[in-house]
Amino acid sequence: MIYEKHYVWSILLRLYHWSLVSSVVTLAITGFYINTPWTLTTLEGTGLYPMLTMRNIHSLAGYLFTAAILVRIFLLIFGNRHERILDLLPVTSRNIKNMSTTLCSYSYLHDCQDEERLGHNVVAGVIYVLTIIVALFQMASGFYLRLPESVFWQKWGVMLFGTQQHARFEHHLMMWYFIVFALIHIYLVIWNDLKHPDGITSSIFTGNKFRPRSIK
Amino acid sequence: MTDTAQSTDLNLQVDRRGFLKGCTMVAAALGISEAMIPKLVEAATSAQRPPVIWLHFQECTGCTESLLRASHPDIGRLILDIISLDYHETVMAAAGHQAEKSLHDTLDKYAGKFLCVVEGAIPTKDNGIYCKIAGRTAVDILAEVAPKAAAIIAIGACATYGGIQAAQPNPTGAKGVQDLVSGTPVINIPGCPPNPISFLGTVLHYLTFNRLPVTDNLGRPLFAYGRKIHDHCERRAHFDEGRFAEEFGDFGHRNGYCLYKLGCKGPETFSNCPSARFNDVDVWPVSVGHGCIGCTEPNFWDTMTPFYERLPNVQIPGTSGITDIDSAGKTILGVAAAAVGIHAAIGIGKKVIKGCGCKNENKES
Ligand code: HEM
Ligand code: HEM
Ligand code: SF4
Repeated sequence: MIYEKHYVWSILLRLYHWSLVSSVVTLAITGFYINTPWTLTTLEGTGLYPMLTMRNIHSLAGYLFTAAILVRIFLLIFGNRHERILDLLPVTSRNIKNMSTTLCSYSYLHDCQDEERLGHNVVAGVIYVLTIIVALFQMASGFYLRLPESVFWQKWGVMLFGTQQHARFEHHLMMWYFIVFALIHIYLVIWNDLKHPDGITSSIFTGNKFRPRSIK
Repeated sequence: MTDTAQSTDLNLQVDRRGFLKGCTMVAAALGISEAMIPKLVEAATSAQRPPVIWLHFQECTGCTESLLRASHPDIGRLILDIISLDYHETVMAAAGHQAEKSLHDTLDKYAGKFLCVVEGAIPTKDNGIYCKIAGRTAVDILAEVAPKAAAIIAIGACATYGGIQAAQPNPTGAKGVQDLVSGTPVINIPGCPPNPISFLGTVLHYLTFNRLPVTDNLGRPLFAYGRKIHDHCERRAHFDEGRFAEEFGDFGHRNGYCLYKLGCKGPETFSNCPSARFNDVDVWPVSVGHGCIGCTEPNFWDTMTPFYERLPNVQIPGTSGITDIDSAGKTILGVAAAAVGIHAAIGIGKKVIKGCGCKNENKES
């Protein structure tokens, strides 16, 4: 069978993906450190500042994370046809159908009429949109914690989360969403890669997916 | 300095020197210029200063006690001296019907002009029967007094956000003043107890400028609650340098290291404790080796506990059990990992049995 190369993921989307991955990994590690600093300095005057450094890295990664999410929101509206929000959510009959066939094949049922689709399958799409929403809350709680004296963040922070302690608790809770997401996400990427010859994994590096010439 | 035996009496006289000293301390806390001190003094001694009605509801009187006794004696006396207390159950001489009469006289005579201070939460469940004074419920008394007051100062964790009575499951339906009063300006001076300086600063600000000080979104005056404790803490350098006390009495604790790992809530709490400090000897909890418990924050009994942990516990759904947040997270991650494992195993199993997983693959192979 002859396969054709299709350009699916724009450079901006791929940049977004890998900025998100690197920032989330950094944020989770430094976040755990901030919660329970596992180093113990007893020497004074060393100038190592481990806690200060971790908090600064956390903030820096927080800004990268924020930038990535803003880019993705831009792409939800102005991206290519695979990147737009209407391609991710079960809002068209084509997408609703894809959602059920995907669930069908994920649950190993036999007669699944798999659709060859260039963009994300719709189950993934829904989860990605959910992830962006959680990310927005993560971002807001993070800025509320970072800028406690800012009038803007105080107003929104108190409204969305409550006190600083609430925000911190919810910030920590949402971290676990990202960790569980990453586990399932990476598993399903590998699973799909084994099952379909469209080259899903490399698509997030190169932007290209492959499919047989016969299919439009 | 008066001797101890004397200072435990409620000495209502404050000499001029003590008076000026107190006003200066308040001016410093308010962050206003030295040049304003004469204005503060003038306002504090003016014959036209508004009378104060002090209502005690569901509380322990700890706020009053700490204001008038334990704290800086000059400040305590200053409070009594500058605010003309027409009704205060703890310190007024009158009792019984006489006291109630004095309350109603003030209400009638100074309607719209007096300051109302509320200490204690207001229980609202079962028609408010859990707190009654002179046969009337706290809800009724507040409803009568509040609309006539020029402004209300809620003092302490209870009057502001409900305090310990309002902690889960809040059996008496206790609420803070701001949840029950509308139409009259309410300012919150939370804390368990709050610093007398924060209270006095608010009163003097009102007397001097005829309006309440600027507040944050939780109704607390910014001059006293504008910064996190953590950002003014004397142990902060130890925090940044990663030097922590791991348990009470260990090397770090004895060396004055940061109390973060002992659950100090300074990073989540707004208050001037590190700068205003308490009592004559200028101490505050963290300075004497105990982490902050976050008593100036709403619902701190629920959100700041366990006091010696960083974050509150999570309820396990469907049970009465609780666990810490990371155990919960790890359990969910474990369940997800198990699900992934089972899913992968089924996929492999099907391949082994059938040689193929689905129709799609037939097509491709
Ligand atoms: C997926 C993204 C993120 C994760 C997983 C994450 C994780 C964490 C964790 C675990 C903590 C420690 C809270 C605790 O348990 O006490 C924390 C604290 C914090 N995070 Fe994040 N975070 C993320 C995004 C952000 C963002 C976008 C910002 C915004 C700049 C931010 C700012 C902060 C701040 C300021 C703190 C408090 C640090 C302190 O009080 O010293 N975080 N984060
Ligand atoms: C090394 C690990 C990873 C690999 C190989 C990988 C690979 C991929 C691939 C191939 C896609 C496209 C999937 C599709 O077409 O449906 C994708 C999408 C995505 N990945 Fe990852 N991923 C990794 C880690 C992560 C992590 C850790 C996160 C976040 C916590 C993440 C978040 C996302 C999101 C949000 C999308 C959707 C992109 C969009 O919005 O369109 N990925 N990833
Ligand atoms: S003792 Fe508490 S308030 Fe002080 S630096 Fe440590 S965590 Fe912050």
